[in-house]
Amino acid sequence: MRAAIELRGVWHTYPGSRRWALEGVDLEIREGRILAVVGPNGSGKTTMLKLAGTLYRPTRGTVRLWGSDFWASDGSQRLRLRRLVVYVHEKPVLVRGTALHNVAYGLLLRGYPPEEALERARSVMERMGVAGLASRERGQLSAGEAQLVSILRAVAAEPRVLLLDEPTAHLDLEKRRRLASLLRELRDRGMGVVVATHDYLLARRVADEAVVLEEGRIRVRGPPGRVLEV
Amino acid sequence: MPGEALEIAARSLAISGTATLLSSTWSIVLAYMLARSPRASRLLVPFLEALVGIPTVLVGLLLYLLLSSQGPLGMFRLLYTPKAIVVGQAILITPLITSVAYRVLTHSWSMYGELALALGAAERQAARLVFSESLPGLAAAVVMGFSRAFGELGVALMVGGNIRGYTRVITTAIALEVSRGEFGLALSLGAMLVAILVLVSLTLRFLGRLRER
Ligand SMILES: Nc1ncnc2c1ncn2[C@@H]1O[C@H](COP(=O)(O)OP(=O)(O)OP(=O)(O)O)[C@@H](O)[C@H]1O
Ligand SMILES: [Mg+2]
Repeated sequence: MRAAIELRGVWHTYPGSRRWALEGVDLEIREGRILAVVGPNGSGKTTMLKLAGTLYRPTRGTVRLWGSDFWASDGSQRLRLRRLVVYVHEKPVLVRGTALHNVAYGLLLRGYPPEEALERARSVMERMGVAGLASRERGQLSAGEAQLVSILRAVAAEPRVLLLDEPTAHLDLEKRRRLASLLRELRDRGMGVVVATHDYLLARRVADEAVVLEEGRIRVRGPPGRVLEV
Repeated sequence: MPGEALEIAARSLAISGTATLLSSTWSIVLAYMLARSPRASRLLVPFLEALVGIPTVLVGLLLYLLLSSQGPLGMFRLLYTPKAIVVGQAILITPLITSVAYRVLTHSWSMYGELALALGAAERQAARLVFSESLPGLAAAVVMGFSRAFGELGVALMVGGNIRGYTRVITTAIALEVSRGEFGLALSLGAMLVAILVLVSLTLRFLGRLRER
């Protein structure tokens, strides 16, 4: 099966920084699979996910989305490809408005009629058991609630690949369990999922494959049972 | 004198208000372009920040040289007109509005611009979100610009000429009253100037609150 997203020989450095955040990373992300990315703080997990999500342009190397070299594509092609992949920030950022509006936001950006977007957003919130938050303004959400809203906003947009950066940092145990089941359901429906996390329990619960990053390099990759030893 | 004071205040408001609107349009566009191109901003932003406190008489002098009858723009006959003050003040506050707006938009882009792109926005949709989330900060930049324009003396004096009933504004009126020894009158004009500044700032804040709802 062809990879949905492919990083080839990717090196990345931040403007003004002298260090490489990533050093020669090769990675394949597939639809219908859950990939866990683990590694110490500063090892490059966020950087790698943002590169896969086309938010950063690699300093060196190529990022292919469904076979196309993203950064060599023209504007309309880039937009089309970008809409197939959604990245969720580790620190949730919500736009002005209610939680429901936030969950619908990705659909609104894609040009869905507002009523349909809100309808879908509501059903995604119900699926996660948080429909009660729908009418809360962004300033009235706890850290965990905001994180859930930002995850559900990505899920509602129905990308073909979902990139989650530390999605359980603020979630209670029950929500973690529900998130794990949601991710498995999405995978079974054919979505590709990447989870960068320090939550080994979540990683072992859901992942089909895992990679360990250290100092900007992929050190180990393989089945989660072997890679994610505590 | 109260009638004349009101007329002067109205003229000051019109002149500095126009200068601020004019300057805001180009300053905010420039700030957005800088926020989107790190390389250009690394060169230009320190330069703009250094010019935030440029002396008003220096801007007045340069504009005077441009607009005087022997100057390169002399044929437009703008010297000693309200338009000349508008142009001078608009230039004067450009570094201030641009550099503050640049900070606001850079911060906003790193949060909301990136968020929008992550969710599949087109560049234009991302820009719309960034501007909408930046409005309070941009409003603050505009108020600061207005405050500097409204309270400046050098430009108004040098290219306006303090002509009674035509280019006299609050600050040039204050300077005139001081030179005449009319300190009481000068002080009350000063109080009026500050009152107007506070009122303008509060009004914008109030409008911002209405929008948050
Ligand atoms: N905006 C930035 N500017 C400069 N350097 C950065 C920036 N963001 C990250 N880095 C550097 O890049 C490297 C990788 O950072 P990254 O955020 O990808 O790590 P991470 O694995 O996600 O860490 P964490 O587990 O703490 O989230 C680190 O050395 C970090 O210092
Ligand atoms: Mg991280």
